[in-house]
Amino acid sequence: MSESPTAAKREAWGRLPEWARPLEHERRGLGSLRLAETTILILLVIFLAVATVNDVVQQTHVNHRLKADLLTWRTVTGHDYVNLATEQDVKTYSTRDTVCGNVSPGAPGERAQVCLMLAGAVVSGVRSVSGGYYLAPYKADLRANRYKCFGLAAETNLCGLSSLPVGSPPSPSLPLGRP
Amino acid sequence: MGKERAHEHTRHWTTALAGVLTLVLLAATLEIVLDGAVGHSPLIPKSPDIASWLVGVGERLGYRVFLIALLSYSGAFVGILLLARRISTRWAIALTVALQLIVFVGPVLISTDVFSYIAYARMGVVHAVNPYLHGPTSIAADPVYRYVGKDWVKVATAYGPLYTLLSYPLAPLGVVGALWGMKLEALAASAGTLALTWRCARVRGLDPKFALIVVGVNPLWVIYGLGGAHNDLIMTLFLMGAVALTFASEQRNAVAGGVSGEAVGLVTQEAGSGGLRGEIERAFQTGSRRETYAGAAVVGATLIKATGIVLLPFMLLSRRRLAPLIGAAVAAVIGALIAYVVFGVHGVDIVSALNRDAAFVGTDSFPTEIAHLLGKPGVFPIDHDLLKAGLVLIVLHLMWRTWRGYDWVAASAWTLLAIAVTSTWLLAWYTLWSLPLAAISRDRRVLYATLAVQALFVLHQTAPLLAPVS
Repeated sequence: MSESPTAAKREAWGRLPEWARPLEHERRGLGSLRLAETTILILLVIFLAVATVNDVVQQTHVNHRLKADLLTWRTVTGHDYVNLATEQDVKTYSTRDTVCGNVSPGAPGERAQVCLMLAGAVVSGVRSVSGGYYLAPYKADLRANRYKCFGLAAETNLCGLSSLPVGSPPSPSLPLGRP
Repeated sequence: MGKERAHEHTRHWTTALAGVLTLVLLAATLEIVLDGAVGHSPLIPKSPDIASWLVGVGERLGYRVFLIALLSYSGAFVGILLLARRISTRWAIALTVALQLIVFVGPVLISTDVFSYIAYARMGVVHAVNPYLHGPTSIAADPVYRYVGKDWVKVATAYGPLYTLLSYPLAPLGVVGALWGMKLEALAASAGTLALTWRCARVRGLDPKFALIVVGVNPLWVIYGLGGAHNDLIMTLFLMGAVALTFASEQRNAVAGGVSGEAVGLVTQEAGSGGLRGEIERAFQTGSRRETYAGAAVVGATLIKATGIVLLPFMLLSRRRLAPLIGAAVAAVIGALIAYVVFGVHGVDIVSALNRDAAFVGTDSFPTEIAHLLGKPGVFPIDHDLLKAGLVLIVLHLMWRTWRGYDWVAASAWTLLAIAVTSTWLLAWYTLWSLPLAAISRDRRVLYATLAVQALFVLHQTAPLLAPVS
């Protein structure tokens, strides 16, 4: 009579202590382990759910703020443009945002751009303008490309160009504070 | 009589409710596909014209409509899952097929990944550029380049050499031809995975209809996975192939072991003709061969996407047989050899690609959410190390449990889920890795956990619905 494969396997691992031997099926009596695992899992899912809800709420607040940023830019500049670039403060994680858009109709970045630095709470759907600057067409929002800084942008020396680039349209300082 | 009437009444309202839920599922999918076909949407990647024949019915797909459709779909999915045991098999299959086909004929949804796949294939076939050394930016003049996501144009492929080789025959078909080829591959992989999920559930004595619905009607499977023609579906096909082969081998071996059961009964009937001893010997040989193929299939999954390797240690610990190890070793050697010949040493070096991807950080990942909850702006390098340590502990615990008789399929599903949850770069299709395994697992907790993680992922997408930016 030949030995069954299960028995042969059992023999092969027979030298191991009982607790270390492999089993074909889990032993009964593991209820406490299962209970501990399930408890940890439930706590983990609750923790992840709290983190997710918190993130959604935070994102909702950010979206609310960004919406106010766009409305503020449109109100201050008088241009009802759709394609505006919004940048959040990822260096100090403040709620100060910068919104840039063309000074005249055209594809995004195709014309000179005016950028507004917006801060403070959302009141009546808008935020306060704390400063701003201009950018030449097709130029990235870097210090070397900025000109005509006003407000906080001028105070913190954000502009690298001391004079207007050739052919620039008029670049007036825009009113600070809430529009 | 009263009982019969009550039973009849319940059957009627169950059918009516299932009908309504089916309509919601179909309508939500149609809404996304028809609106997506219009294009010019942040949810639809820039794509060559493949769905213009659907234009005219829908409107441009905005976040609001998409999220309402996704939430409606998800709600109906939960409802249909609860009714799964009461609806007919034909209904379940027809619904699954209809949803997959609607998404198949539509535009690419949500992700630009499929264009990266095509770009890598065209780099190798059309431009003789090694996709394991260079990013799509090296073929900037190629027609596919403009469709590749801007974050990925400089990134060399992170996919396995088998997947890259599978994509090569599609490269000469042009961008549109290759795109349809990729969509067809994803559809076939999805269908294959579903068929194997059905089969494995039946072998395990689970309800195959429920398993089919939980995977094939799943919103993230249909809309994100199949909608984006993601190669993750091909990986799951290989994984489920490995599981199905192992189950088939178990059935064969159970005949010799004298284990009773429905499935074994079937095999015994098959083995009944001819000499019993010879049949048993043959069964052993067939079983071993199947386990060898199963080991090879796991390596196949790994050569599609490195994450597939997760199955192997649990399979080996549970089976404790040489056959799957031999199959895996032979497949690994052959795969590595082919990858080395075609792509050079970089085609074999899956680890460095994994390390690179592990450093990415995304807004949808759970570690990022937890960091925000703790008042941090995001995850830091130390967090990566902590997450890796946590993952190692989970895997060690599961390996120990598997050695002591725990279901290896469930252990594999837990590990894949743990990888997705601890990853700082979580995408919707990563939550699909564990889904088919969880659907056929003996430990139902892993299925509930997978669905919970998916639900949280969907919930995390809803901010634009609560506060739209325009």
